[in-house]
Amino acid sequence: MREFITGNQAIVRGAVRAGCNFVAGYPITPASSILNEIVRAFADGSGTVVQTEDEIAAIGQCIGAAMTGAKVLTATSGPGISLYSENIGLAQMGETPIVIVDCQRMGPATGGATATGDGDVMFARHVTSGSYPIPVLAATDAMSAYRLTYEAFNIAERLRTPVILLSSKAIAMTRQTVDLESVELPAAITRQRATSNGTFQPYHVDHPSDVPDFAPIGGSQRVRFTGSIHGEDGVLTIDRKKIDAKLKHLNAKIVGNAASLELVEADLDDSAETLVISYGLADGAAREAVKQSREHGNLVSHLTIFSLWPVPEIALRAAITPSIRRVIVPELNLGLYVEEIRKQVPGVLIESIQRIDGGLIYPQRIVDAIEQIEINAARGEEQLR
Amino acid sequence: MTIIAESKPKEYCDYLLRPGNTNCAGCGMSIGLQWLDQALAGEKPTLVIPACCGIVTAGAFPTSGYGVPTAAATFASSPALASGISAIAAINKEKNPIICWAGDGGTYDIGIATLSAAAERNEDIIYICYDNEIYGNTGGQRSSATPEGAVTSTTKSGKGERKKDIMAIMAGHRIPYAATLSVAHRDDFLRKIKLARATKGFRFLLILSPCPTGWKSEPDESTDLISTAVRSGLFPVYEVFDGKRYRINMKPDETPVEDYVKKQKRYRSVAADPKGLKDYIDQQWRYLIGMAKAFPATKDDGAFLATDVKAE
Repeated sequence: MREFITGNQAIVRGAVRAGCNFVAGYPITPASSILNEIVRAFADGSGTVVQTEDEIAAIGQCIGAAMTGAKVLTATSGPGISLYSENIGLAQMGETPIVIVDCQRMGPATGGATATGDGDVMFARHVTSGSYPIPVLAATDAMSAYRLTYEAFNIAERLRTPVILLSSKAIAMTRQTVDLESVELPAAITRQRATSNGTFQPYHVDHPSDVPDFAPIGGSQRVRFTGSIHGEDGVLTIDRKKIDAKLKHLNAKIVGNAASLELVEADLDDSAETLVISYGLADGAAREAVKQSREHGNLVSHLTIFSLWPVPEIALRAAITPSIRRVIVPELNLGLYVEEIRKQVPGVLIESIQRIDGGLIYPQRIVDAIEQIEINAARGEEQLR
Repeated sequence: MTIIAESKPKEYCDYLLRPGNTNCAGCGMSIGLQWLDQALAGEKPTLVIPACCGIVTAGAFPTSGYGVPTAAATFASSPALASGISAIAAINKEKNPIICWAGDGGTYDIGIATLSAAAERNEDIIYICYDNEIYGNTGGQRSSATPEGAVTSTTKSGKGERKKDIMAIMAGHRIPYAATLSVAHRDDFLRKIKLARATKGFRFLLILSPCPTGWKSEPDESTDLISTAVRSGLFPVYEVFDGKRYRINMKPDETPVEDYVKKQKRYRSVAADPKGLKDYIDQQWRYLIGMAKAFPATKDDGAFLATDVKAE
């Protein structure tokens, strides 16, 4: 069935399909309608929704519900995710799955409450003290917002981690025609439960990149939950070996499973000289630009990245086919993610297209960049930056 | 008591709330800001405003804006930001009042920690909450100031919980002055602003601020609605000195609360039988009358104002 819905509505539908049964949130433009829509979606008693007194309470309630086994979601925007920061660290420490939607605004602080941007891509990656990694996905439109919300729940449950889904004002509040039921999705994942045999160690793993089995707090097994550094038994520790093991595990659990987290769409041409890499809101313009440029007879490849963190290294390398001479990265920020791409593909000419004033990057700007290949190559890389 | 109107016409930019602003028709905040301006009689306050409709007002210049210095604080921290300004203003011996102008979300909910702390430190700030009982700026979600039974975008069948008694909370901080202000009673409103201005320390003023968009009411009925709220007893108009001496300024006149409820579609789920609101009025007045009897304000409380107004 084709529907005409907003990105925020698509996120609610994706969450419901993933089995989300607890949402806590605090009003903030442009994320508020997720909270309003969830109230409607849970009206049949299928879940609990709480409007809290502030953002600290919103994510706090989510952590509490997730500790009992619930599939939880909270949605906010820049000012709110700033207040989430400490609790995101707590969720990391306690290996608690939470799906966090960040409907990005333009700029820092209040910024443009009703203006769009993709400025939180680095903030999302480094949102906690210590900078331990969190999987970060980025929607490009209502349809991908739906699919990625579902995927975010699976990643959160599978790796017992907070997952951030980046959306933005323009996706959140723009209606698009979608057919959600036609989307093929993998089976929904629920945390691996601990068996009741033997002594229970709430954070025990055989290998650093493994994920500990889950037992709900208050259940038959004794679960300890703490934001302080702890051993596999959940008890505070000053044993450096245990500290090292715990922190390396928090990193390895995400980085060591990076290959399984890659979500991209590759539209590659083996003889292409130019590769356009896009994510978030700039992706729509990139698709259109690639299409137009191909009609003009240019050989262009296009890679859309949905999983920003960890960086999808395998897909990136595969997209740099032998004839690629140049990569164009349009972004609605100061060119934040292009630096990551530069690290991944050294020796390739990389051009950054940026816009930060709340407006969109138009396809023509990308088309011009693609078609000026000869002029730009002669000028050298430095001038292109 | 007579409030003497200013005789000198103001320039466009001199108004605290400039003409041509983008506030909705019938917004209680607009009345409150204009009367605040009038009561301050030419004095320019520094406004500190957290996220709320009031900071949208500031943002749309040149079609709107405030004619006074305005600082936008984060949602949770207007009393903290104002405390910082106040500390330095004291060192510099600056006299102009520092006023937090905040909605109910920023006062009752997210901002209550910094509000409580600033009150506990007895900061030299006037804190004015224009309480429209809703998150008006983000699409009308419930707040802890939303009355029982009111439909909001997150309480689709009417809110189940009662309105938080913020006046009791603030009185509990033993601040020098706390009062409720009605946008249907100008003399009382202006007197309280002047009294707050003349008082040192932390002052808390609560305005019930009609929001036609959120209340689903008619803009031209806003002041009538507040008049009805006062007369029915739903919004008691009173003041508390040092957090422990009470004076009730107006008594309800048995106007039925139904008159208030039926003019707002937000009450559609309880309009037929607003029993919850009636119980709330009863309990509230039992409490207030008890307090005013046991701990009455003295004749000295607010008395200097008589001379102050005469001198004008």
